[in-house]
Amino acid sequence: MATKVNRATAAAETPATRLSPELLLGLYRMMVKCRMCDEKARILFRQGKYAGNFYSNVGQEAGEVGAAYSLREEDWVAPSHRDWTSCIVKGAPLTACFAQLFGKVDSPDRGKSTPAHMGYPSLHIITPASTIAAQLMIGTGVAWGMKRKGQDNVVVSYCGDGATSIGWFHEALNFAGVHRLPMLYVVQNNLWAESVPLRLQTALTDLSDRAKGHGITGVSVDGNDILAVYEAATRAITRARAGEGPTVLECKTYRWYGHSEIDPAKYRMKEEVEAWKKKDPIPRFEKYLADHKLLDDQIKKEVRDEITREIDEAVEFAEKSPYPAPEEAFDHIWA
Amino acid sequence: MARTLTYIDAINEALHQEMERDDRVCILGEDLGLGGGVFKATAGLYQKFGEERVLDSPLAEGIIIGAAIGASLVGFRPVPEIQFADFIGDAVDPILQQAAKLRYRSSGGFTCPITIRVCWGGGTGGGLYHSQENTTWFAHEPGIRVLAPSTAYDAKGMLIAAIRDENPVLFFEHKKLYRTAKGDVPEEPYTVSLDNAEVRRPGRDMTIVTYGYMASIAMEAAEEMSKRGVEAEVVDLRTLNPIDKKTIVDSVRKTNRCLIVHEDTKTLGMGAEIAAILNEEAFDDLDAPIYRVTGPDIPPVPFSPPLEKFFMVDKEKVIAGMEKLAAY
Ligand SMILES: Cc1ncc(C[n+]2csc(CCOP(=O)(O)OP(=O)(O)O)c2C)c(N)n1
Ligand SMILES: [Mg+2]
Repeated sequence: MATKVNRATAAAETPATRLSPELLLGLYRMMVKCRMCDEKARILFRQGKYAGNFYSNVGQEAGEVGAAYSLREEDWVAPSHRDWTSCIVKGAPLTACFAQLFGKVDSPDRGKSTPAHMGYPSLHIITPASTIAAQLMIGTGVAWGMKRKGQDNVVVSYCGDGATSIGWFHEALNFAGVHRLPMLYVVQNNLWAESVPLRLQTALTDLSDRAKGHGITGVSVDGNDILAVYEAATRAITRARAGEGPTVLECKTYRWYGHSEIDPAKYRMKEEVEAWKKKDPIPRFEKYLADHKLLDDQIKKEVRDEITREIDEAVEFAEKSPYPAPEEAFDHIWA
Repeated sequence: MARTLTYIDAINEALHQEMERDDRVCILGEDLGLGGGVFKATAGLYQKFGEERVLDSPLAEGIIIGAAIGASLVGFRPVPEIQFADFIGDAVDPILQQAAKLRYRSSGGFTCPITIRVCWGGGTGGGLYHSQENTTWFAHEPGIRVLAPSTAYDAKGMLIAAIRDENPVLFFEHKKLYRTAKGDVPEEPYTVSLDNAEVRRPGRDMTIVTYGYMASIAMEAAEEMSKRGVEAEVVDLRTLNPIDKKTIVDSVRKTNRCLIVHEDTKTLGMGAEIAAILNEEAFDDLDAPIYRVTGPDIPPVPFSPPLEKFFMVDKEKVIAGMEKLAAY
């Protein structure tokens, strides 16, 4: 039966106290790493270091990290355009991530796919197309295959609020419901689909209600609360592994910047943006960790310094990595 | 040992044999399990292999292909079915943007060995939405094989080859051929090349390039014209993507004339591409313009019998085209 647990205001109930300090700090480090890599990607774009475009995830890190942090290596991720950082969460080396931006041969697809549409085959991250919601169907097919093989692996697939309107989203959920597939659909509801506000996207308030129509579980959480996301995702993943079927997890969040790096996002009210920046998931978690004596300024600095070093090295590597030869355009069309 | 089989029975036998041989092969689509398929192409499979491997899917073409793609990434060799080519619309993105490009966009990191069976074609009173041909939507796309067998022998051998192939494949089965095309088909499994056109009939006076149901119509027309002293070489493309240019060009170098026959509407049909290939590669060998005998540029296929007859290319229309070409 469809259930919906609206935890958007329930962060205080999160039984995070049972999470180990290592795990809590790990989640923290990963959020900071995603933030810093993303900001670096934006700077590099502005510096003209790569062509194409980039879809920043800044502001949405709690959903991005919390949903996939507990995955095993054999689990799959089916990302979309705003999920370049999900590759980092799943364990892709930063060298590959930055080579991806530049379209260099050291990117996993040797420069064929666009900067933000990154996959990593050996880590089971499916290289996405730009088609919104297509990744949900492919991810669902992977889950179907794994279930048929009797494996207890899961698939996490990300999408945005806009993606929940398109038919393929519903075809995927419906199929996953029929076969009780080990799927976690993470809907990063950032209130905007490019320049279309949520009120013109759907009459729903909670996008987890989309699950009801397909007889599957839907959960909405405060998507800027890493612990709320982590807890809901872990519960969904545990259920999925146990054969109890798919979950739609709506993370209510906000993207700080434009839809892409070429979008000044003039359609949004400044007040709305500022209000959401105050709900930044990172300082919020820093306060939680400090309150629990797990974080101080020294550790914060160490975390950032270490990530800065790693990013600098990765960017240097990516810049030195060669471009593909033009003839490579003919490679990998046919098996 | 060979015996006479219909085209549809050849397809059914190929599915049975491949599913027996390789338990990674599974099929999914509408009405193909319990019901055995609207034309019975999948008859008996559900009973033999069970619901795990012969899955009646929800009525949703996108996820039929999407689920097949995903399952192929974890080692399965799915054979999804689109019940009628007319309803492939919702699956166009999964086919063209996902299946055909997944290998490319991951530089070989992911391969997508799925074989999509699609029932196509007119001439059976199916009307506007059970008659269409849309092979060229897909033949235009690098990275996906597009097959359109015309004989029972090819239907079995090409389907088996497709299932064993590492590329995504669209396998177009012409519904008119299901029970009208009969021929010798070996009992044991075999494969037919997915890279080669087939010369169905040798001839010195002109080349007819065709495929699908029209290959059988072209053969009838060629036999009749043979009695009048015109020997046409009939080239059955069989594979619309990639196209076997060599067989076409070699034939036209010999006959110096070319007639293209297809059921599809004329504008931007396969004929346009074949003519362009010959223009580029055999211009000096041509003694006459390349003519096309095709469906008219109207929505295919209006229902009323005289309207359908007007649409469909038949033997008489092909003969008229051959006469015009021979007289040039
Ligand atoms: C099928 C399809 N239609 C349109 C687009 C163009 N497009 C890219 S992203 C986007 C908005 C997506 O909004 P949402 O799903 O909310 O994700 P977000 O960008 O907010 O993360 C649009 C319209 C596309 N890529 N695919
Ligand atoms: Mg959005």
